Amino acid sequence: MEKAVKRSKAAAKPRRVGSRFNKKNTKKFIIAIFVYLVLFDLAFVFLYPFITMIIDALKSEADLLNVTVKWIPSELRWDNFKTAFEGLNYLTYFKNSVLVTLISTIGHTFVCAFIGYGFARYKFPGRGVLFAGVILTMLVPTQVLIFPMYITFSNWGWLETYLPLLVPCFFGFGLRGGFYVFLFRQFFMGLPYEMEEAARIDGCGPLKTFLKIMLPMSRSSLLVCCVLSIVWHWNDYFEPSIYLNQSPSLALLPSKLPAMYAALNQVASEAEDISVSGDVIINQAVCMASTFLVILPILIAYMFVQKQFMEGVERSGLTGM
Amino acid sequence: MAANKSKKKMMTMRTRRSLEGVMFISPWIIGAALFFIFPLVISIRLSFSNLVSVAGFQMEFIGIDNYKYLIQTSTTYVPNFLAEVKDTAINTPITLVFSLIIAMLINKDIKGRGFFRTAFFLPVLLGTGYVMQQLLENGMSNVVSVPDSILMAIGPTFSTIVSDFLIRITEVLWKSGVQIILFLAGLQGISGSLYEASRVDGATEWENFWKITLPLISPIILLNFIYTMIDSFTDSGNQIISDIEHCFENGALARGAAMGWLYFAFTFIVCLLALFIMSRLTFNQGER
Repeated sequence: MEKAVKRSKAAAKPRRVGSRFNKKNTKKFIIAIFVYLVLFDLAFVFLYPFITMIIDALKSEADLLNVTVKWIPSELRWDNFKTAFEGLNYLTYFKNSVLVTLISTIGHTFVCAFIGYGFARYKFPGRGVLFAGVILTMLVPTQVLIFPMYITFSNWGWLETYLPLLVPCFFGFGLRGGFYVFLFRQFFMGLPYEMEEAARIDGCGPLKTFLKIMLPMSRSSLLVCCVLSIVWHWNDYFEPSIYLNQSPSLALLPSKLPAMYAALNQVASEAEDISVSGDVIINQAVCMASTFLVILPILIAYMFVQKQFMEGVERSGLTGM
Repeated sequence: MAANKSKKKMMTMRTRRSLEGVMFISPWIIGAALFFIFPLVISIRLSFSNLVSVAGFQMEFIGIDNYKYLIQTSTTYVPNFLAEVKDTAINTPITLVFSLIIAMLINKDIKGRGFFRTAFFLPVLLGTGYVMQQLLENGMSNVVSVPDSILMAIGPTFSTIVSDFLIRITEVLWKSGVQIILFLAGLQGISGSLYEASRVDGATEWENFWKITLPLISPIILLNFIYTMIDSFTDSGNQIISDIEHCFENGALARGAAMGWLYFAFTFIVCLLALFIMSRLTFNQGER
């Protein structure tokens, strides 16, 4: 059956090729080439840091010192990854990071969608002031509020647990919580109003309308929120380093990177091998390999979500209906 | 009794809508009470005080002395402040235009879409961590460089302008991954039947862009505009933010808080103004 379809397609092809040489198709072809050229150029700029990172991660000490070796190392040092893997204590911290990232992403995605819906669709006194408050939470960096926060959490006995990282996410706060509220507000504003109105006339309550009608329609914004939340939580090292200061067993995966880079920068000019608290010998290559290992899980996760993101939504656009 | 009941019923329609709205916002209100208002108040009070001891957060009210110092005595604060404002004013529009163009290109039905979509998001994966900062410090922003011979030909003044421009573009591009993915999600939401209908009516792609795409993604443009501005204002590579961090590390908490609040007050007003003006211009289907 499939073969038959293929054959019929193959038979149809020559005709199309023949008609390609008319004026309209030539124009299309030139535009396509131009688009690809622009995209590849831009992609290079975007990929540049990533490529340098991988190449540096594979260099040997001699290559790191040699300025002429930029793109092609004389030998590939796969051992750097092994050293990095051991130095990061990868498996232990990987589990911690996955746990924290998953829980906080679930909290952010659902609760911020809920809050954002309220801001997008309901008018009530004080809405403007409250929304200005959301903008303010986006604007003030964590660093400024960290001292009073630390005192609060220590009064509640939450220090050295994951609670300060997880609980605020379920109230629309936490790492960039305000941004997700804003995101959902904007996306919901773009959706047509008719379906909710119909649901309300049919006697559907506000909660049910939100869960059964709005959430299924906002697949793409939910996915974007998920992706961004996963990436930002995974990479965050500032808050965990403050709240989990005394308990190494709870540490998250990226928490070792700043220490590694700091140690590296101290002796950067000498490019010698140095060791961080007697764990492993590190150099620039090992640092790069560690960085690569830290972001590898979210890279893989993104590649999967990216596909999801583009498939189902393709023909189901609702904006402007 | 009966009159009271009927009055209650008359009010319900509007009050009930308001109450439903408050119900949806309630998690945020509780969260603000628990996690935001206390630190905020402490931090603002700190900026008007002198910290006596860090241990119990004992403060002594000294009025606006901390702010006076920043504006009158400090030689670096005001110039840095103005430099950041200028930077944001230049970078925000460039970022928006570039990310919208890229998002529209990779929203088309082209080969290798998955590859491009991953490539354009890579700096975000790297960037929020420690890595991008390291790369930027090591002078990697010269990725797109012009050959030396051309620079020689156009003369030194002009060539610095050109290379500055290229460095700025590269940095802007690296920071636009989030904006690209937001625009992409917005573009994905637009119904394909609209374009089909307008094509049947003989509209060109150019007209489609101005009459369909732009109005329908205007809420996302507003989102991206505010996000880009805030991202630029609070970026960790930002001189003011790193000065504040420096103050905190050295125990000058009160001065750091004052530096922060003068800056945030300004940026907050700018953001609210932008939000107010742009909400007038955006096309909202939901607002009735």
